[in-house]
Amino acid sequence: MSASSIGATDQLATPPIGPKPLVAEVGGGRLGDIWRAISRNRKAVAGLLLLLVFVVVSIFPGQIAPDDPTAQTYPPALGPSWHHLLGTTSLRQDIFSQLIFGTRLSLVIALAVGAIATVLAVLIGVSAAYLGGIADGILSLVTDVILVLPIFPLIIVITAYRKNSGLFMLIIVLGVLGWSYGARQLRSQALSLRTREFLESARVRGERRLYVILFEILPTMTSLIVATFLGSALYAVLAAAGLQFIGLGDPNSQSWGTMLYWAQSNEALFAGMPWWALAPGICLALLGAAFALLNYAFDEISSPALRVRKLERSRIPGRLPSPADTTPAVAPDRSVLKVEGLSVAYATDAGPVVAVDNVDLDVGRGEFLAIVGESGCGKSTLLYAIARLLGAPLPGEIIGGRVLFQGQDLVLLEERELRRVRWRDLSVVMQSAMNALNPVLTVAEQMRDACRAHSKMSKAEIEERSREVLRLVSIDPVHLHSYPHQLSGGMRQRAMIAMALLFTPDLVIMDEPTSALDVVAQRSLMVQIKELQERLGFAVIFVTHDMSLVSHFSDRLLVMYAGQVAELSSTRELFDRPRHPYSQGLLEAFPSIRGPKVRLLGIPGSPPDLAHPPAGCRFAPRCAHVQPRCTEGEVPLSTVNGSVVRCVLAEEGH
Amino acid sequence: MRPRGGGALSEALLRTEGLTRHFRVGKLTSRQTLHAVDDVDLTIGRGEIVALVGESGSGKSTIARLLALVHRPTRGEIWFEDRPLSRLRGRRSRLAYSAAVPMVFQDPYSSINPAYRVSHGIVRGMKLHRGDLSRTGRGAELNRVLDAVGLVPAGETRRRFPYELSGGQRQRVGFAQALALRPKLIVADEPVSMLDVSIRVGVLNLMGELREQEGVSFLYITHDVASARYLADRILVMYAGHLVEEGPTEDVLQRPKHPYTQLLVSAVPDPRAELGLADARDVGEPPKVVDPKPGCRFRQRCPLAVAECETVTPQLRELGDGRRVACHVAS
Repeated sequence: MSASSIGATDQLATPPIGPKPLVAEVGGGRLGDIWRAISRNRKAVAGLLLLLVFVVVSIFPGQIAPDDPTAQTYPPALGPSWHHLLGTTSLRQDIFSQLIFGTRLSLVIALAVGAIATVLAVLIGVSAAYLGGIADGILSLVTDVILVLPIFPLIIVITAYRKNSGLFMLIIVLGVLGWSYGARQLRSQALSLRTREFLESARVRGERRLYVILFEILPTMTSLIVATFLGSALYAVLAAAGLQFIGLGDPNSQSWGTMLYWAQSNEALFAGMPWWALAPGICLALLGAAFALLNYAFDEISSPALRVRKLERSRIPGRLPSPADTTPAVAPDRSVLKVEGLSVAYATDAGPVVAVDNVDLDVGRGEFLAIVGESGCGKSTLLYAIARLLGAPLPGEIIGGRVLFQGQDLVLLEERELRRVRWRDLSVVMQSAMNALNPVLTVAEQMRDACRAHSKMSKAEIEERSREVLRLVSIDPVHLHSYPHQLSGGMRQRAMIAMALLFTPDLVIMDEPTSALDVVAQRSLMVQIKELQERLGFAVIFVTHDMSLVSHFSDRLLVMYAGQVAELSSTRELFDRPRHPYSQGLLEAFPSIRGPKVRLLGIPGSPPDLAHPPAGCRFAPRCAHVQPRCTEGEVPLSTVNGSVVRCVLAEEGH
Repeated sequence: MRPRGGGALSEALLRTEGLTRHFRVGKLTSRQTLHAVDDVDLTIGRGEIVALVGESGSGKSTIARLLALVHRPTRGEIWFEDRPLSRLRGRRSRLAYSAAVPMVFQDPYSSINPAYRVSHGIVRGMKLHRGDLSRTGRGAELNRVLDAVGLVPAGETRRRFPYELSGGQRQRVGFAQALALRPKLIVADEPVSMLDVSIRVGVLNLMGELREQEGVSFLYITHDVASARYLADRILVMYAGHLVEEGPTEDVLQRPKHPYTQLLVSAVPDPRAELGLADARDVGEPPKVVDPKPGCRFRQRCPLAVAECETVTPQLRELGDGRRVACHVAS
């Protein structure tokens, strides 16, 4: 899909279930967390074990190898046997012993080059980013030049020129030429950190530059620094082996690369000594694999989004039958959308988390339904589930329930069938137009793409319709050929709404469309939405965290708390007689612009962790009216004077 | 609520004269000057909470950063305790000012370094600014400030990492960092705008309590006019880099004089009031103040504009009772 799915990226800013970068459990400090994350990651464990084997071998070669690797005392060119596990060379040496003793040098080169390249990359990349200006220009230029140099031929030339300086020279040359890729990555991450407020906070506090770089920036980049080290170690293993293979470096040293060199110069493969060449080759590949595995694992640990988790449905207690078991039914005439028992779960490290729990709602024709709640209450997830947009940014899965729209259950539709419904009959307006609009296409081009994907309109019809919808939202059609960045925030948001109205849909789903705007622009956009709705007759589901914003615009209000419906009633009724203690708390949480000034208290505490929801009423831990029966069991929804409330006190008229 | 400073204004702790900050924008060939803040005179008294309100891009945050020494003024002067900041020489005197005027940031998810425990920023501040404290002294002070901002038990919170805290708790850490410096004025740049509604009030109340208990002044920067009313003694309204109106909060919000303040106040959603659609027709946008000509910057959107507004930039005029307005027409 086009604009709507692009817009979804904005949601990354507010992860559905609390922003916890490493692992969910707390305790044992951060190092403990990292260790736990590593021990759970299969790639990390495999890489570490592999590396550990090589390290042990390189420390105790004499204890492991059966023979002296330099001794030329055996019959030449033997095949593998019990005495010579991998046979002997034509130079009368034991191949297995050579392999064992060669480990140390290959590992030392890898680690030393990795260390040198990493230190250089960090110094240059982070300084460039933090200093900015001319310093950044010069450092970045040097980095880029080194990056495009044909490194390998250059290394050959340099090491050939200083042929007799041996190992030390090899390490220095590889290290000095190998930092540029890492420097570029570190620079771009440090650049993105530059706008983070904790750095500004450190500067305002009065910290010196060097302190900020070393102690504020670097610690937050640990995972990328580790990745740079592993990447350059991998590069060093391969580059050193390559150089030694062609005879550069000291051919009398003991390493896998030199083994390859001697094997090649003695035509080992053709002379019946395959292991002379194969064994060091396999070891190089394994050492490289160890570094690569660790590198991948670190990427995954530091950005959990890369991890692929599978939702374990069996671990979700007391679920409804899966969607396929329910038979589709036709929604009654008067409602345009009917949601029944909709539940959505996310897979997390700690197991499945039910973010939307058994939600029922219906939207009448031309109705304005507002859904309010705090961050993490499941309101956005619910919206994405209704529009069947769960996926990349919000990776939840519908685990039960139905979404009846135009007589069909959207939950059961294939993507292809969904495309016929979406945009034509049900359109979506995202939170941030800057992210939802394609920055390299003009408004006209984006409207044209949408029209072509969802209809057979002619070019002239598309042009005409585009102008018409822009006029609908009070944008002068001269802006049709503007790019999104040329429009102001308010105009972009209007343009998004215009695009949603291209096909006069029955239902428009809006996810906080005004929250990026200033109060004045916010107000006029709300008035406009309401007017359009009354004129064109579409229904609206409007998600917001700001109850007061919709107070004059919505017909009914749904208050969500911790993934469940807390209260659903007419907007006026909810403002005048909130029945759920949470709704009451929300209403008393924001100061008023008029009327008497009273000290407000807000709501103590914070919403529950949905991975471990409290037993019984989920609001009980924060509730002033809590009673023993609140925590005894699940509190059902009850209907009081047309309002639906999930509270044991509701029936008693509180 | 607590009594207000109101008209009985204590002596000025900080004041600015003609404070101006311009930024160069555009490419080398087409250099332009963005006027982020132009000619702002403001005063903050001892123990006073002053709200600075306006739309995004109106120059609020630039003023915060001028006061926090992140930017240098293009023109104008900041006086702190009757000493001009342009005369601050050397790291020592700059540090002394930074300790007296710390800043609390907008985004609780990015304003604390995620790699350190909560205590890091607080302890660093004390190491930089309070050399008199011993290691145990710092430990005791750390507990005191965590207590003061309601992060109890302090002994446990100090060991937490930021990701273990909620947004509201993180914002309290920001205030604890400021408090550990024994500040006289805390510049709080939109400290509640990214918090959930149910915990915003807690942070607003915290600012009020810190004023009561520690005698700290606040510059509370916000776009949320209702929260300014809840917290502040005086309010300053900015539009497109200019200060357009100031006065005691309640006066200004109940009887706004500047047409922009009127528009702003009418746009605040108020569930307790009737909906007045008449004021909501405005689809104008604040101008980008790039190489501006003289004249009122609100004139294109202003229902009261007269010919004079096109050519003469209105200056703040005294209206009595501590109120000032920059408008040719308003009275």
